[in-house]
Amino acid sequence: MGRYSIFAAAFTLLWAAHASAETWPGEDWPAAPTLPSPALQSLQDYAFPPRDDATRKGIRTDALVVIHDGRLIYEHYAAPTTASTPHLTWSISKSLLATVMGVAYGEGRFQLQDPVARYYLPFSAHPRVRIEDLLHWASGLDWQEDYEYAPLNSSVVAMLYTRGRGDMAAFTAAHSTYSEPGQSFRYSSGDSNVLSAALRGMLGNDRYADYPWQALFEPLGIRSAVWESDASGTLVGSSYAYMSARDLARVGLLMLRDGRWQQRQLLPANWVAFNRAPFAHAAAEPGEATPGGHWWLNQPLAGAIRPWPDAPVETFAALGHWGQALYILPAEKLVIVRYGDDRDASYQHNELLKRALAAFAGGGS
Amino acid sequence: MKRVGVVLLLAVLALIWHERLALQAFPGILSAYSAKEYCSCRYVMNNPPEYCQGYVKQYLPLSELLDDPAHQRVTASGLGQSNSAAWGGPRQGCRLLPAQ
Repeated sequence: MGRYSIFAAAFTLLWAAHASAETWPGEDWPAAPTLPSPALQSLQDYAFPPRDDATRKGIRTDALVVIHDGRLIYEHYAAPTTASTPHLTWSISKSLLATVMGVAYGEGRFQLQDPVARYYLPFSAHPRVRIEDLLHWASGLDWQEDYEYAPLNSSVVAMLYTRGRGDMAAFTAAHSTYSEPGQSFRYSSGDSNVLSAALRGMLGNDRYADYPWQALFEPLGIRSAVWESDASGTLVGSSYAYMSARDLARVGLLMLRDGRWQQRQLLPANWVAFNRAPFAHAAAEPGEATPGGHWWLNQPLAGAIRPWPDAPVETFAALGHWGQALYILPAEKLVIVRYGDDRDASYQHNELLKRALAAFAGGGS
Repeated sequence: MKRVGVVLLLAVLALIWHERLALQAFPGILSAYSAKEYCSCRYVMNNPPEYCQGYVKQYLPLSELLDDPAHQRVTASGLGQSNSAAWGGPRQGCRLLPAQ
């Protein structure tokens, strides 16, 4: 018994030493600003060219925040966005929803193979769709995701602004199918909102509304988060989460450290592994990131080069409309948040990552 | 020629019937988008009014954009339709109100 206590005490001390050697944000990020260099200037020139608010052409970065191994090594903002602006994340919301669901998964509230209909009754019309299929955007529902180019037939525009806005999950559930569930990838904001409705079913109405805060934001010290819901009270998991760039970087650090926040394993390690595994039936599209479990990967698909050739293959990301991005580069211990207001396709993930690696890889010194 | 014209007319009518739900909803997109995203730009992201006006600007012009700061409520009108969005709290942000 005595020997056991000594071992336990020694282990605790070692663990404490290990944990204290790691850097984590408290109320604010510990800062270690990167000194000026030509590589850093080149990154800043790419991200922040002069803005023309009349034409809105070109790259329009609102915020760029870089974390290395738990320290803030660079940040820059374009007015009116500041360090405290809760910026719209658009489809980064989908990966945030998946992270909230990871906490629920760790609490044993569901399994990936569970039918969605178990938690969301209107999906009894699609009884063979599993939670895993929604996380892969592979429900097989006949959904049209185009935003601006085909507004008449865009499912997502109808969902957010007209026919679907009262109850976005029910609007999605009313779609017909084009494929067997789990067999083909078709990016769908509808799939993400059905996940949000399924989470509501798992938790019940009382716990659901505050669950993202209780499960994820508060443990990480995120104070700027806003998450809008539809008229039925279901959080718009596809599109409408907001937070500051510094706060989104906390989610990046959680993912960088495999779901652990300080001493607490907030997301099971196998959940993060699922997020980071390519969907088996995805087909390569040039320049498009590889779909994982509601996150985006730089893993090449069969017969193709990796989506961002100048970034390491392990790079993964949460991505949103108008250039929103949260990149995680595990081997380099880098987390990069890029918020934007890009109204054209000028901005390239690969180019930003290439210049960020030149500026910061090797420790931001 | 006449028969081709009739077939074409029938095809167009069939297309309109097939797309009737989308066509009915279309004029509401502009005002709903503008009201919702202006409300969130102004009251969630806390950006200045002039910036938010530019932020929601589309190719099709709005006929009116009314911001009621006392009630944090935004009404947009365009293509003959109006939509309103209102701020509902620090975690809840903005939401479109039921169509009138």
